[in-house]
Amino acid sequence: MSDGNVALVSMQGISKKYANVRALSNVDLTLSRGEVVSLVGDNGAGKSTLIKILCGAVRPDAGMISIEGEHVEITKPSVALSLGISVIYQDLALFNNLTASENVFAGRELVRRICGVPFVRQKKMLQESQILLSRLGIVTMKSTRGQAGDLSGGQRQMIAVGRSIGVNSRVMVLDEPTAALGVRETGVLLDLVQSLRDEGLAILFVTHRIPDAMMLSNRIVVLKGGEVQGEMDPKSCELDDVIELIVRGRKL
Amino acid sequence: MIDQTPESTPQTIAEEPVEDDSSASASPGRGPVAAVRRRVTAFMGLRESGIFIALILIFSIMCLLSPQFRSGFNLTVLTEQMASIAIMATGQTLVIISGAFDISQAAVAGLAAMVSGLVWMDLGLNPILALLAGILCGIMAGITNGILASVFRLHPIVMTLATSTMFIGVTYLITGGEPVIGLPNVLLWMGESTIGPVPVSAAIMVVVVALMHILLTRTRFGVRVRQVGGNVEAARLIGVNVRRIWLGVFIISAVLAALGGEIEMGRVGNAIPTIGSTLLFPIITASILGGTLLTGGEGSMIGTLLGAAVLTVINNALVVLQVDPYSQSIVEGALVVAALIVDQFRRKQLTLRNLLRPDL
Repeated sequence: MSDGNVALVSMQGISKKYANVRALSNVDLTLSRGEVVSLVGDNGAGKSTLIKILCGAVRPDAGMISIEGEHVEITKPSVALSLGISVIYQDLALFNNLTASENVFAGRELVRRICGVPFVRQKKMLQESQILLSRLGIVTMKSTRGQAGDLSGGQRQMIAVGRSIGVNSRVMVLDEPTAALGVRETGVLLDLVQSLRDEGLAILFVTHRIPDAMMLSNRIVVLKGGEVQGEMDPKSCELDDVIELIVRGRKL
Repeated sequence: MIDQTPESTPQTIAEEPVEDDSSASASPGRGPVAAVRRRVTAFMGLRESGIFIALILIFSIMCLLSPQFRSGFNLTVLTEQMASIAIMATGQTLVIISGAFDISQAAVAGLAAMVSGLVWMDLGLNPILALLAGILCGIMAGITNGILASVFRLHPIVMTLATSTMFIGVTYLITGGEPVIGLPNVLLWMGESTIGPVPVSAAIMVVVVALMHILLTRTRFGVRVRQVGGNVEAARLIGVNVRRIWLGVFIISAVLAALGGEIEMGRVGNAIPTIGSTLLFPIITASILGGTLLTGGEGSMIGTLLGAAVLTVINNALVVLQVDPYSQSIVEGALVVAALIVDQFRRKQLTLRNLLRPDL
């Protein structure tokens, strides 16, 4: 079997219970290189739990995750990062008190050891974050020296994207990335997601906005009540079909 | 709060709005005037600029007013008074930036001084070893605070208040409340000696502030401290070991407190159980005056040094001007209230508009 046929990420039989609530039961999900999979569903459908399991923030009760066919245990966020899975959280998880450049490099600061003490290479981080962000089409930000808390919603989003690209990720999970953005900023982001896909990343796009999902993704996976209701091909289905599945669930 | 959020689209970015305004008003702006103006705006944008200007003003006024104030003797005394406060305050600043508080610093200072005195007197150890024993006490106190804060996740203010009471208890228990007098010169050296005109304690202060400044701004540990103080959850998500960071800041804070206690012992001349008890408020004041955000995430060691300087100069001025000693407390308290109000403005919790219109 050639590499291309093995799914990059495969989640199988994932179940999770919180106290008495079944958040997920027996969910399967696969992601391949160079594809965008949209995960849609109503509030409480289990979308967040599923991505939290993928990124190591929550442990599943049952189920298996493999990356390129190899079984992995994602016990904590740093493990997910080292496997090349990066997440952009809905609230972005930025540090408002740090500079844009420090945010881009948060968690993997460039250091130079002097007498064993890791010193941060601020200048290099500043230059590289500038290059990275301009590659993302955010040439408009004059400098990455300013504090992240002073930036606009769109710029903050780009910093979050920049941070997750910087970790050499193979899989990128975007949790409601367009929720806080204006029309124009959303456009920039969607273009960016497409170009990342073309570079070979596997992208899991979690969203409420079904039109975005229709436009962008290769497959749409619908969750309801913690179960996968179905997978749809946006080219061969209508918006209403997806919404129907989200609201009513699988036809019996 | 919503009306304050800048509605900027991706192409209208002002990373520093202030700078943008100035370049717009001085539009041809390439000449020396514009350059000076840029320098000035850059300086005013610094966290430390306000406290620096305040220090210069108060210091200059006092020098003009009082020959006694500007005497060499008084300036030496002033730097000696300032040293232990500034040293301990840099530790406090680090803790506050990480999102916690260390109320136990004063108690640790007293404990360290008494342990040094007792170890020298009762065990007859070499004075250098006695000093190290005091510092070791600081490390142990810091580990205690750090574990309680990070593993048990106790509220830092109440927790350090409790450990503070315990450390004071230990101090009295081991000494029976008696001072240790007749200490050898080596034990007192840090607090009482001078190298030329410079007090040893002031030299130690400069070194500590420089090291703490580098630690905060240049090392990865410093970045981690700011991350934890700014957004604990995000820090966990990027894989920061939050426990280790809190353990680290509490140990550093307690070690600096112990160092401050040893210096105070030298300044006073004897090891007295109450040695650090009056220091807690000045330490926190210095940190706040220096621009440390009480909510964590931001602060500066240089600012803390300047804060300690302002505080000491004002206290010294009140003595020199023969103001009623009791009113010193009033001034000190008012100073903190003023600093807190500035802090509110800086965090944009308060603006002139909603100050004047309480309904907003």
